[in-house]
Amino acid sequence: MTEIIIPPIDWRVAAQLSIIFGWASVLLVIALFVPRSRTRIIGYLAIVGVIVAAVAGIPLWGVNAETFSGMLRLDAYSLTLNWLFLASTAITIALSLDYLPRQGIERSEYYVLVLFATGGMMLLAQGADLIILFLGLELLSIVLYVLTGFAYPRIASEEAGMKYLLIGAFAGGFVVFGIALLYGATGSMNLRAIGETLARQALTPEERTYLLAGAALVVVGFGYKVAMAPFHMWAPDVYEGAPTPVTGLLSVGSKAAGFASLLRFLVEALAGEWQIWAPVLAALAIATLAVGNIGALTQQNVKRMLAYSSIGHAGYILFGVIAAGATDGVAGQRGVESVLLYLIAYTFTNLGAFGVLIALEQRGEAAWDMGDLAGLWNRRPWLAIAMAVCMLSLAGIPPTGGFWGKLYVFTAAWLAGMGWITVIGVIIAAVAAFYYLRIVAQMFMAEPAREAPLPMDRALRVGLTLATLGVLILGFIPTPAIDLVQRVVLGVRG
Amino acid sequence: MVPTSYYILLSALLFTLGVVGVITRRNALVLFMSVELMLNSANLALVTFAMARQDIAGQIVVFFVIVVAAAEVAVGLALLVAIFRTKHTTDVDEINALRG
Amino acid sequence: MPLRQRSVRNAVVSMNSVPLLSVMIWLPALGALVVLALPRQNVAAQRGVSLGAALLALAAAVGVALFFNPAHAGFQLVERVAWVPSWGISYTVSVDGISLWLVVLTAFLTPIALAASWGTVERQERAFHALVLLLASGLFGVFTAQDMLLFYVFFEFTLVPTALLIGIWGGAERRYAAIKFFAYTFSGSVFLLLGIIGLYLLHGQATGVYTFDIATILASLQLGALRLDTGAERLIFGLFFIGFAIKAPIWPFHTWMTTAHAEAPSSGVVDIIGLLIKIGAYGLIRFNVQLFPAAAAWAAPAVGVLAVIGILYAAWIAYQQTDMKRLLAYASVSHVGLIVLGIFALNTQGIAGAVAHMVNSALTTGALFLVVGMLVARRGSRELKAFGGLWKTMPWLGSLTLLLALGSIGLPGLNGFVSEFTVLQGSWRSPGLGWRYTLPAILGVVFAAVYLLHMYRTAFMGETLPELARAPDVRPRELALLIALATPVVVLGLYPNALFGPMQQSVTQIAQGTLPYLASR
Repeated sequence: MTEIIIPPIDWRVAAQLSIIFGWASVLLVIALFVPRSRTRIIGYLAIVGVIVAAVAGIPLWGVNAETFSGMLRLDAYSLTLNWLFLASTAITIALSLDYLPRQGIERSEYYVLVLFATGGMMLLAQGADLIILFLGLELLSIVLYVLTGFAYPRIASEEAGMKYLLIGAFAGGFVVFGIALLYGATGSMNLRAIGETLARQALTPEERTYLLAGAALVVVGFGYKVAMAPFHMWAPDVYEGAPTPVTGLLSVGSKAAGFASLLRFLVEALAGEWQIWAPVLAALAIATLAVGNIGALTQQNVKRMLAYSSIGHAGYILFGVIAAGATDGVAGQRGVESVLLYLIAYTFTNLGAFGVLIALEQRGEAAWDMGDLAGLWNRRPWLAIAMAVCMLSLAGIPPTGGFWGKLYVFTAAWLAGMGWITVIGVIIAAVAAFYYLRIVAQMFMAEPAREAPLPMDRALRVGLTLATLGVLILGFIPTPAIDLVQRVVLGVRG
Repeated sequence: MVPTSYYILLSALLFTLGVVGVITRRNALVLFMSVELMLNSANLALVTFAMARQDIAGQIVVFFVIVVAAAEVAVGLALLVAIFRTKHTTDVDEINALRG
Repeated sequence: MPLRQRSVRNAVVSMNSVPLLSVMIWLPALGALVVLALPRQNVAAQRGVSLGAALLALAAAVGVALFFNPAHAGFQLVERVAWVPSWGISYTVSVDGISLWLVVLTAFLTPIALAASWGTVERQERAFHALVLLLASGLFGVFTAQDMLLFYVFFEFTLVPTALLIGIWGGAERRYAAIKFFAYTFSGSVFLLLGIIGLYLLHGQATGVYTFDIATILASLQLGALRLDTGAERLIFGLFFIGFAIKAPIWPFHTWMTTAHAEAPSSGVVDIIGLLIKIGAYGLIRFNVQLFPAAAAWAAPAVGVLAVIGILYAAWIAYQQTDMKRLLAYASVSHVGLIVLGIFALNTQGIAGAVAHMVNSALTTGALFLVVGMLVARRGSRELKAFGGLWKTMPWLGSLTLLLALGSIGLPGLNGFVSEFTVLQGSWRSPGLGWRYTLPAILGVVFAAVYLLHMYRTAFMGETLPELARAPDVRPRELALLIALATPVVVLGLYPNALFGPMQQSVTQIAQGTLPYLASR
């Protein structure tokens, strides 16, 4: 009888993941003993778990290790992203604590599912192997389908969940088939191993065909996940139908995780083929910018507008992704940094914006029309200021975090020799500022059309304050965040 | 022996069938089946490559894919039942409360 | 005021002394926060705190002027703190002879704008004061920032308070005006950002030093460490130019400005909004002419044409206006044309005259806007036809307005004459422009006399309209404000050296930079 040898596991690599998954499972059990009227406790406990996981990451800074046969990796890149995911999860839960009971959909599974989604995101950031990327993607997606449809029996929510599931499963099919082809081409699913195989240039013409087709399919699959044109059409509907805190999580965490793995995939496995994928992605980035921003221009529904705006931002993040693969080391490094900084700024900004929408939403009625924001400055001045800060950040106006993100991706793309997309991106940013400004004008310059919104719960207030302050602190003191992302090195340069 | 590329061609064909099915069909259940076809065509490719390369990894991934597909369908059917209770249809064209 | 105190300190004052410029920049912002923290009902305290903050900033600005050494051409009173060191972004503020004047002007107009608003702001006075103070902070920052990115940040920082001031407290079409203002200037500013990023990266790639510091980049350009080929230089010049041309605004980009000025709150806030457009002209000098003299010499004839068209066109439209605020707004556009003409004369007279004219037109046009605001408050209409024979009921206002109008027209002995004459002299002598540009510009100046005197005659001369028979003359506070504005009109007209002295060295240095390129044509 052969003895099964279990290779040693480096638990540092899996520490944060284990905490989140373990705590989520424990909470699932605890929830059985918590009466329905006290469901909130589970929410608080979930936040505690998130904080513990975040703190557990502090001693791990500087670790560069992999485990599970090189499938899971912990480096500055994944640790930074893990913290970002944990921060967005904590804020999302804080925003939900008030929202769920107000909408009459408070169930303890919600918080558990959010934790599982976070775990999925972290898998995507830490995955160094196509299998892990696929598992993370599916774990995140399946949880999000449920969360999107969580507002049962509200039909819009169910439908959004269904649509998201069909599109997500479709995209998942692309990813799997792509992975199969990449495996066929290189004989490995490890990202670095694929990159090394490519560097040796030992592929037969047939294998090269598999490689390019597989890479294209994987990019398409992740393109759906991050809502990149032309794979974006699900986003407005799903964003509108999902419960608003889930929309927030979809637009930041899920998107950030998608970009995290797309970036690692392109830089670690496919850096050698940059000459091929960079122009393609550049064209897609421009299309994404155009579709997102033009779509947002005409929206009267703020939630849909934010959905289109989030499509547009995917275009800007793509600028950084393109630069990250650049053969020129300086530009490549800038690209990686710019994606991270953009994601950080964007996460806080979008959560703040959705937080304001949550505060406006009364039970059973949507408050997402432009008219609902009219005169908010007179009714709830702090809410209006928070929203204004977020809109300015989304528009990229200093001194907000969004400005530094834009500046970073523009310089990175320019350095990578893609000056022309920078020019187009900047011009589109000017157009985009218009619809963000329209919201600000509506809040500050129009007469109030509705009565004041409900007073805010403390958790909601804390979540909203954290998000808005995050945007402002990033804007005024960007140095710590920039220093953080500058420590991150990815790919062959690592 | 049948060359590897024939298997891959077949799986590509199945994959395309699945994609076409998702794009053209309107019944949610048929959509699920089409997605299933896409996933299984990938499984065929994975097994083929694993065979050709004498490498176990490809075969292992197939199990993951099967498990994920099952989970996906479970959630999908749950959502479908929830929608069916209110709308009494599984036609995705009539699931249209959202503009778009 | 700065002229007498020569050599209090010799050259650059470094960080170890009091950071006077930073105090000046951030005091108003601090005041804004304090005002926002005050109780909503306590209007007196809000007014007191905001005016106090503005006056303290004025005192700081006077201090800056006293420490300023007019014999020195470069940047003085430099304060530098690293902001984002890894990108070469620093918080660097300092003044030279050109920015000194704009800083002093801002500091002078802010308390006037605040005091003029008392009683005219009907709602949310607290937020109003806070926004005016924030705007003042932004303006100080723009005029002192010597780091391109810091400049851009302050540049954008002024947009939001301005748009809110127009949009919340403005006239009937305030929302339209606010959005138009924002859309235009923001579109311009993205070109500016592109230019800044481009220059930053080109400088970094050429020298290995990635920095946004203007002085460093200027030195690299002058010493040849960074050589831009003609195409790249013209492209970046163009990007900067579009940004500043929209801000200035140079014809044909002026339409946002007339709407914004006409719809701006009736109180003195328009004075400070008027300062915003000086950013455009200031940026043209600081960036376009100083950094890219060759491209500036290349573009001068074309820009001159735009400027001359602007002067004449705006004067003609102003003449046809029946709405007093719109008339003054077009008069401002006409002044801007003259300023731009002076800048692109690219010689000492032209640029010095342009800077002087920025100061003078801000004073006189701002004061006239204030007068119109007072008239509108008494009559409830901006239409010129609604006024007549005010001289009889309001002799004080009538005489002061006459003085200000004459100053604006350019009557010898008052401030406008000095700067207009210098600009015209500069453009006549400029090898790039010459008499073909100067003669139409003179025509525009004559036009100014026609439309302003037309307005004055209609409003103040003739028979008193019955509706205005009991309109009260200026109140003591209004009188004090108008006298404060009229004093420099007379003083600078009589002692033009006070105006030109401090800026002489800086302007000469910039003009000399363009000499080789002008001589070569």
